[in-house]
Amino acid sequence: MLKGVHQNLDPQQSPAFFVRGANPFSRMMFFCALSIIIMAVDARLNYLSQIRQAFIGGLHPLEMIANAPSDWMRDTKKYFSAHNALVQENYVLKQQAFEHKVALQRLSTIQAENEHLRSLLNGNIPIQPKAILGEISHTGRDPFTNVVIVNRGSQHKVQAGQAVVDSKGVIGQVTRVYPFSSEVTLITDKALSIPIQVERNQLRAIAFGEGNNTLDIPYLPSNVDIKIGDKLVTSGIDGIYPAGLAVATVTKIQQNPESPFAKIVSTPVAEISNHLQLLLLELPEAKEAEIKPDAEPAEKTKVEAKPTKPTKTKTKPHAPG
Amino acid sequence: MRPANLLTIYLSLLAALLCQLFPWVGQGVIFRPDFMLVLMLYWLLRAPNLCNVGTAWLIGLLVDLATGSLLGQHALSFTLTAFIGLSYQRRLVLFNKWQLAGYVFVLLIIERVLILLLKLFAGNDNPGWHYLWPIITSMLLWQFMVVIFGSITRPKTK
Repeated sequence: MLKGVHQNLDPQQSPAFFVRGANPFSRMMFFCALSIIIMAVDARLNYLSQIRQAFIGGLHPLEMIANAPSDWMRDTKKYFSAHNALVQENYVLKQQAFEHKVALQRLSTIQAENEHLRSLLNGNIPIQPKAILGEISHTGRDPFTNVVIVNRGSQHKVQAGQAVVDSKGVIGQVTRVYPFSSEVTLITDKALSIPIQVERNQLRAIAFGEGNNTLDIPYLPSNVDIKIGDKLVTSGIDGIYPAGLAVATVTKIQQNPESPFAKIVSTPVAEISNHLQLLLLELPEAKEAEIKPDAEPAEKTKVEAKPTKPTKTKTKPHAPG
Repeated sequence: MRPANLLTIYLSLLAALLCQLFPWVGQGVIFRPDFMLVLMLYWLLRAPNLCNVGTAWLIGLLVDLATGSLLGQHALSFTLTAFIGLSYQRRLVLFNKWQLAGYVFVLLIIERVLILLLKLFAGNDNPGWHYLWPIITSMLLWQFMVVIFGSITRPKTK
């Protein structure tokens, strides 16, 4: 009789004193497995970038609240900055603008001449990239990577892979684009490399970031013609960075007798920590598609007849996002 | 000590996320305490019926999304830390204030080392010794949390 009653009882009913659902160990195992799967998916496949973009886009209001105190502080500082200093700055800037204008006059004639000569040689005219002006909103939150976050995103037509420069030189490349902001990986990051050219003797090489605010130029023989103080500029063969932008200056050359290669260390010329404004240069592909229609009316020379495209090498320094 | 409710937990979580998103300039980011981690540990040790290993995982995932690191790294380390933290949770009422602080300190170290290992496996650079600073600042934040939300340990008997 009693046995029968017992059999009718629900075996799932356990005393409700310490019920916490599944025990912590099985939960831990489950969530660990889940995180490992997510890590693998995020590292190898690109499915999760959409989710991340949506999340960061949704986080934007919260970010604005978090940024508000520092913005207010900057604004009040601006407001109270002395009249005298502003007049002084205005004067200096006017003078600079005047000097630049004079230089620009010369440059435009030289450029026209250069274009003409190039067309005579059946070369292609170097494209003047368009740019978006952005502002650094904060440095990256992950102390392991060299990134800055810029306040321009896919809403402002920023694309992943765009080159980023400031008034002194190349800063890096856009690696992730969110709706209202984008992540710029600095050229000093380990994931990034940039094709360069020594300004003095046009020697081409590729510079790799080292992670600690320096660039390394590996695989050059120890007797290579590079001196301390040499300026490195972009060579433009990658089709991402326009040619001739300042990248770095060589600061140290070490010859190791055991290695056939010289260890060449250079420091970037861009001053990321000193100011906030920077330019995001448009990708050359997008520019090409755009320039075709409005190039026709301004047909000075017969360049259009020759559809030579800029040679693109496979050494794309684009870091996968 | 008032019993913890779910609303307080989520509101404080939002506040911690806001602190995490605060634009830490230049060197400040080195000293930034792990707001989300400290918060997670506090609620985990105080109210394990409301905040469990799963919550820790979710908070870790939020941190991953917000900081832009590889998705799942913080989720994994938070899950493991939460599990280790829970394993002694029943005994915490016997601890005094300093013993509890020591316990949390150990948990913070464990989380930091786990993240370091995961990052190194993922191919990041060794960041150097300043990487350990947030443990100290997180410890200060923990004491602050205890002041705000109340102590976890047994009140002193007279």
